[in-house]
Amino acid sequence: MTLLGERRIGRVKLSQLQAFLGLIVVFILACVFSPVRRGELIFLDPGNLTDILRQVSEKGIIAVGMTFVILAGGIDLSVGSVLAFAASLSAVMLMRGGYGTPETLLAVLAAGLLIGAVNALVITKGRIQSFIVTLAMMSGARGLARLVSGGSGVEIGYGAGGAPQSFSVLGGKLGQFVPVPALIFLATVAIAWVGLNKTRFGRYVHAVGSNETASRLSGVGVDWVKFGVFSICSLLAALAGIIHCAQLEQGNPNDGVAYELDAIAAVVIGGTSLSGGTGTVVGTLVGTLIIGIINNILGLNNVDANVQLLLKGIIIIGAVLLQRRG
Amino acid sequence: MKANLTTKDGQARQNSRRAFLGNLSLALPASLLLTSACNRGGGQGDKFVIGFSQANKAEPWRTWMDDTLMKEAGKQPKIEIAYADAQQDNSKQVADVENFLRQRVDLLIISPNEAKPLTGIVKRVYESGIPVIILDRSIEGDSYTTFIGANNREIGRAAGEYAAQLLGGKGSVVEIKGLPGSTPAIDRSAGFREAVAAHSGIKIVADPVADWLRDKGREQAEAALRANEKIDLVYGHNDPMAMGAYLAATAMNRAEGLKIIGIDGLPGTEGGAKAVLDGKLDATFLYPNCGKEAIETAVKILNKERAPKTITPPTARITKENAAQFIKSE
Amino acid sequence: MMSYVLEARGIGKHFAGVQALDGVSFGLCQGAVHAVVGENGAGKSTLMKILSGVYRADAGEILLDGEVVEIADPSAAEASGIAIIHQELNLVPALSVAENVFLGREPTRFGFIDRRKIERDAGALLDRLGHRLDPRRTVESLKVSDQQVVEIAKTLSLNARVLIMDEPTTALAADDVERLFGIIRTLVSAGASVVYISHKMDELFRIADEFTVLRDGKMIGHREANETTPNDLVRMMVGREVSYTRMDVEARSGEELLRVENLSSHEIDATGRRRLTDIGFSLRTGEILGVAGLMGAGRTQLLESLFGVHETTNETRITLNGKPRTIGDPRAAIKAGIAFVPEDRKAQGLVLDMNVCDNITLARLERFTRFGFVQERREERAANEYVQRLGVRTPNTRAPTMNLSGGNQQKVVLAKWLLTSPKILLLDEPTKGIDVKGKAEIYRLIEELAASGLGIILVSSELPELLALSDRIIVLHEGAIAGTLERSEATEERIIELATIGDEETREVA
Repeated sequence: MTLLGERRIGRVKLSQLQAFLGLIVVFILACVFSPVRRGELIFLDPGNLTDILRQVSEKGIIAVGMTFVILAGGIDLSVGSVLAFAASLSAVMLMRGGYGTPETLLAVLAAGLLIGAVNALVITKGRIQSFIVTLAMMSGARGLARLVSGGSGVEIGYGAGGAPQSFSVLGGKLGQFVPVPALIFLATVAIAWVGLNKTRFGRYVHAVGSNETASRLSGVGVDWVKFGVFSICSLLAALAGIIHCAQLEQGNPNDGVAYELDAIAAVVIGGTSLSGGTGTVVGTLVGTLIIGIINNILGLNNVDANVQLLLKGIIIIGAVLLQRRG
Repeated sequence: MKANLTTKDGQARQNSRRAFLGNLSLALPASLLLTSACNRGGGQGDKFVIGFSQANKAEPWRTWMDDTLMKEAGKQPKIEIAYADAQQDNSKQVADVENFLRQRVDLLIISPNEAKPLTGIVKRVYESGIPVIILDRSIEGDSYTTFIGANNREIGRAAGEYAAQLLGGKGSVVEIKGLPGSTPAIDRSAGFREAVAAHSGIKIVADPVADWLRDKGREQAEAALRANEKIDLVYGHNDPMAMGAYLAATAMNRAEGLKIIGIDGLPGTEGGAKAVLDGKLDATFLYPNCGKEAIETAVKILNKERAPKTITPPTARITKENAAQFIKSE
Repeated sequence: MMSYVLEARGIGKHFAGVQALDGVSFGLCQGAVHAVVGENGAGKSTLMKILSGVYRADAGEILLDGEVVEIADPSAAEASGIAIIHQELNLVPALSVAENVFLGREPTRFGFIDRRKIERDAGALLDRLGHRLDPRRTVESLKVSDQQVVEIAKTLSLNARVLIMDEPTTALAADDVERLFGIIRTLVSAGASVVYISHKMDELFRIADEFTVLRDGKMIGHREANETTPNDLVRMMVGREVSYTRMDVEARSGEELLRVENLSSHEIDATGRRRLTDIGFSLRTGEILGVAGLMGAGRTQLLESLFGVHETTNETRITLNGKPRTIGDPRAAIKAGIAFVPEDRKAQGLVLDMNVCDNITLARLERFTRFGFVQERREERAANEYVQRLGVRTPNTRAPTMNLSGGNQQKVVLAKWLLTSPKILLLDEPTKGIDVKGKAEIYRLIEELAASGLGIILVSSELPELLALSDRIIVLHEGAIAGTLERSEATEERIIELATIGDEETREVA
């Protein structure tokens, strides 16, 4: 075996391949249980497949950010609230502030970055566990969201006196099939993959997550790495919030509840260890898709809501077991 | 002042210690408000103090109720409102009401967070001789003066009848449901189904749950539209879920010819009435907020007139023709 | 002949191919304090664990009051009246003194703990020890010496006749040691017998009646306290042929690389002492400076302080290449040309989840980074070079470090540091847990590195290793330098003397 060949295998961890196994099984199950119309599986309809991508894109983007944090050995519970804050701030700036799309995007992303920076600062300087700090931020960011919006949803309207049409692109489609949110999600995955696998920062994230002491003793700026991952996570939550606002034509401060749990679930189903160090963003993509496909196929079959919850729980555990076995 | 108030009534004295200790921090703003109100009133009744305990301020519908009620109260020179927000917390609401009881308000208006946990305290208030008006959600038993609340089943039926009319008695319908187990979701579904059952040509082909949320509404509508080639009408248990269906249909180029109706009809630029005016929804059915009726009834009671045990404010069908007036509606 | 309360005959114990104990016999008389002494790794702890039922012996027998007994597990030992007090106390901090004394054996009334009874009984036990302590106080609010008393009271409540104490004074200040000895004397006069393990010669001679000396798992000898001296015991503990001799012994003194003056720790240990006080020494290029001392003497603390892990006082002066430097954290240390191979390879030296290459380049990744991106080809080439140079046996540089042997893992850590082109190399127990062949390779590497001009500070508990490699040895005793030995004057005996007894002169001055 050549060195180069081995390298690739060395990089792609076994657990990742197993995560694909879970996706493949769920995909096959979806095909089997798909309703049929004129001899064709509705599940496999290109429109339906892109629907799934669109539906998972917000939580998927959040899960990518969460992957950074979990890899570095932390957790971020504030992402759902940050999404709500970002969505509300976007709507308020566009509709009440009269700002254009670029200014709004910049301001909202900067606000997201700032929230992440605050999280990181308290975690590293205050020596407090990320669970506690981000739990507090979960409440804090929700409060901010309600404050900027005045408590209830702010509708986005286009045209005179409303938001610029360019904003709608973020929630729309390219051509017939390709939803823009899905493209942004996939781009996020690609950039995150490069960031985690090809850069010094990415190497340090893995190092800090699997052995903080050894990393510190090797001169790795552990606090900077944590600062980086929490900033990235909040930034991506804010990006998801902007897309949320564009997709729903509304910035609602009460949205995004429990999104953090969905994101964590996607990361874990994707094979990333909650104790940090090992895992991949490709796995997170897989985990996100597994959850998306489950939701879609249950919806296509109009399964009773209570049964849906039950089945979803069973399938998620099944997927995780499949990914662990080997 | 406090001592005076509590010695007036044995029961109040009995409860005051517990109420005082239990609710000091939570109820402070309300009690301050009341104290000042009493001072001005001199305790002689040239101004009535009404305690208003609201379940939460987070739902837009309730903010609308608050606005209406406050505006109506403002028109009454002899009425002063003491307001308490329970923040969706039953125990906070119990504490709020206990505080009103201790302060001997002249009348209690309460929109309970949940029926059972609030029944005990409301009963105590009522039995201490303070008249009680209950809004929207009732309590158990009949220890209250008047209940004012819209009838969700009737509203659902009105929506169903209008759906049948829009469809000409024939077509495929998707019903997007609210949070499973919640009373409005159950009643709005039952009423709707009763109405469309009369038309054998109408079929409900999917009835997903979207927990009252716009984003879930969109997701569920997408799946239903994918699974069914021909959908003629979407009925959402509230306007946000109906709006989710609108967004899904537009994005899938399925909006053409698709009728979408919702419930709530909130005023303002964020409400369902505006969505109807903009042509996003075909109709919505007003879920009346009871604020106006509450103050009217309160005035009656305080003037020692008889008030009915139950008042059911009527719904209204909001379509493009009349939407403008509901956007401004108080 | 005197009859023994507890007797061990011909005890042997293997651990994965290592003979930890070999034919050890030992007898404890009624009402005696019997000290077991030996170097680190001599087998004292193993023997105590066998007596208290933690391990089972492969050979030999244990007699209690002259009868052969099986001590299958700790509860069997407890039932036979043998109790052990470990170095790390075994108490629940949040519970009260009384609750700790009776933990797991609480008397109950109607299913509830009879609080008043346990408090009364615990109070009585403490009185027997002549120690006033409120049984209702929580253990965490007590100082360490009082916690130890609680542990002793616990063994009394078990009606223990034999009490094994493993390094009980490590965390105690001088007057607390005195009190502990008072308690031990009380116990002994009441008929109990004590096995006492310690490194500290001065203490041993104040409390022990007799000594058993172990070395390399074998029993070397038995002495009555009144017929021996500390120096005599030290000779017995060492007396081992040196297994490794250094190749070239010619002096390699270059210019001064590092000068340390007045180094004191900011941290204060449980006994109220600074972990390090007034350390001063110098290191020349090409020199290997050995650091000896008992466990807890401050050896690791010294290396970590030099590497910027621990805070030092303002009086501390560090001069590198003739220039004063302050080293605030490991990054600064690395920048200043210092490298540190920590004692715990797996927890501190390596990122086990990462592969060989990633570990080797971790401390100097910026060398292979351009615009934030890692240039994997260059990184790989460098890693390969070091893998070959140090002879790391690994299938390739992308293999996980987790699967390598201890010696090869240590070479990966060394490679990581060599890649930073250090001038000073700090080594903390570099051959710990490494087999004989691996050790020899590491020794060779250390010598080569010194020959190439690095200054090396070597901490090791293995005296032969230290003696063979070092040009000079400083001996630490309780956080201070007890003596500096030139290569010509360094012997195991002298080192152990300094490490266990301390520096007589400074002791008298103080």
